[in-house]
Amino acid sequence: MSREALQESLSAVMDNEADELELRRVLNAFDDVETRETWARYQIARAVMHKDLLLPRLDIAAAVSAALADETVPAKASRGPWRSLGRLAVAASVTVAVLAGVRLYNQDEIAGVQMAQQSNQPGLATPQVKGPAVLAGYSEGSETAGPMANGVLQGQPGWHDQRLPNYLRQHAQQAALKGTESALPYARAASLENR
Amino acid sequence: MRAIPLFALLLGGWCAIPAYADEAQDWLNRLGQAERQQSFQGTFVYERSGSFSTHNIWHRVQDGKVRERLLQLDGSAQEVLRIDGRTQCVSGSLVAGLGNTPDSTTRTLDPQKLKNWYDLVVVGKSRVAGRQAVIVALTPKDQHRYGFELHVDKETGLPLKSLLLNDKGQLLERFQFTRLNVAVPTDADLQASADCKDVAQDPDRAAAMKTTWHSDWLPPGFELTSSAARKDPDTRIQVNSLMYDDGLARVSVFVEPLNGANATDTRTQLGPTAAVSRRLTTPQGEMMVTVVGEIPIGTAERIALSMRSDVVAPQ
Repeated sequence: MSREALQESLSAVMDNEADELELRRVLNAFDDVETRETWARYQIARAVMHKDLLLPRLDIAAAVSAALADETVPAKASRGPWRSLGRLAVAASVTVAVLAGVRLYNQDEIAGVQMAQQSNQPGLATPQVKGPAVLAGYSEGSETAGPMANGVLQGQPGWHDQRLPNYLRQHAQQAALKGTESALPYARAASLENR
Repeated sequence: MRAIPLFALLLGGWCAIPAYADEAQDWLNRLGQAERQQSFQGTFVYERSGSFSTHNIWHRVQDGKVRERLLQLDGSAQEVLRIDGRTQCVSGSLVAGLGNTPDSTTRTLDPQKLKNWYDLVVVGKSRVAGRQAVIVALTPKDQHRYGFELHVDKETGLPLKSLLLNDKGQLLERFQFTRLNVAVPTDADLQASADCKDVAQDPDRAAAMKTTWHSDWLPPGFELTSSAARKDPDTRIQVNSLMYDDGLARVSVFVEPLNGANATDTRTQLGPTAAVSRRLTTPQGEMMVTVVGEIPIGTAERIALSMRSDVVAPQ
């Protein structure tokens, strides 16, 4: 297979326009260092064009290859209703692997930047995450990551630093003192004290 | 890749389970009664973003009196002792200068009311803490509240597991028993430790005044459950606080004068809890309105924008 054809396929995969054959071709070629570098370059170029924040350090190829290795390749000879089902299953598990990779990647990033707070103050020097790093045209919607990933109260000096923890605590404790329906409000209140 | 939608469709059709709304109501009714009728003891975990903790609970119903003790098992030994829903003592860091609110009304789960704002459906069975459970999904009918997934113990009707989910189905918090048995706790189990400090029964009732604020807009079903205006013990600033709920989700609103302080609008999400602060210009000067609650951040924002003062002219 020629380099040009491969690069074309790579580009198609990135734009989410590849057919199954192209996808397989790219995945097979991913063992090659040069192909991976090309992929990384494309990602950077794409990110620049889309003004997305992107650090192409995630190797999704490994996850995808692992998913493929576990797949039993549908036997070529068998022609029947099961043939297409096998292909379906491969496609689905590849998607899962790619999505899982993106998700892990996002969570890493969130942990690093500790985004929890958005402020409208223009002069504030809080690092702000622009949006999720989008890999290979897979998007998770407007959320930067699963909500379980964020939520560290950022130490912002000033008025809110003083008041917000107190308000959060009052809210949780009022609910806990009032509620009789379960231990849930109490657990919420207790979790605020564990910082 | 065109095969994916078909696959999703097949999977979706497969997962659709027949729904019985009345059955869900029955389970929620049982759940509401269980805690007033059933003695139990056990261990549960609580998880939200950035926090995971384990707790013990002892719950005894005797002669119509409900006595309950909660103790955190990891980190600081946070503790609460309640008798008939009234808090008797809490450990050091939990108290934070807050007594029992004078107008606290004992709330129970009311499925009849809840079904106006949530779809109540039994979605399946599960096994939690080694016990058989029924899964009841409470799916919000609008975008102003989160959904719950409750796993109710088949034998006792107690909530074994509770998940809070946003509109994308993402998990916001988890409450889950890891061990539960229905043995009646002994007096020793229910004895609070020395660190558990007595809570003064409505200590600042005289200091608390009626609030002069109200909300022009609330999500359907949210009602005012308590309100007060009291001086913050640290800052000596008069803070109006209002609390609303829809029978399940709760929202607190705090209004405080800025007195020239430099503060900006902020939005914060802490696990299931959203906090939105917005400046408001009133005849009495600049105010900061802070909305805190287990509701989507957009709803909190809208409530913050809808707070109005009842005082028309400057004093």
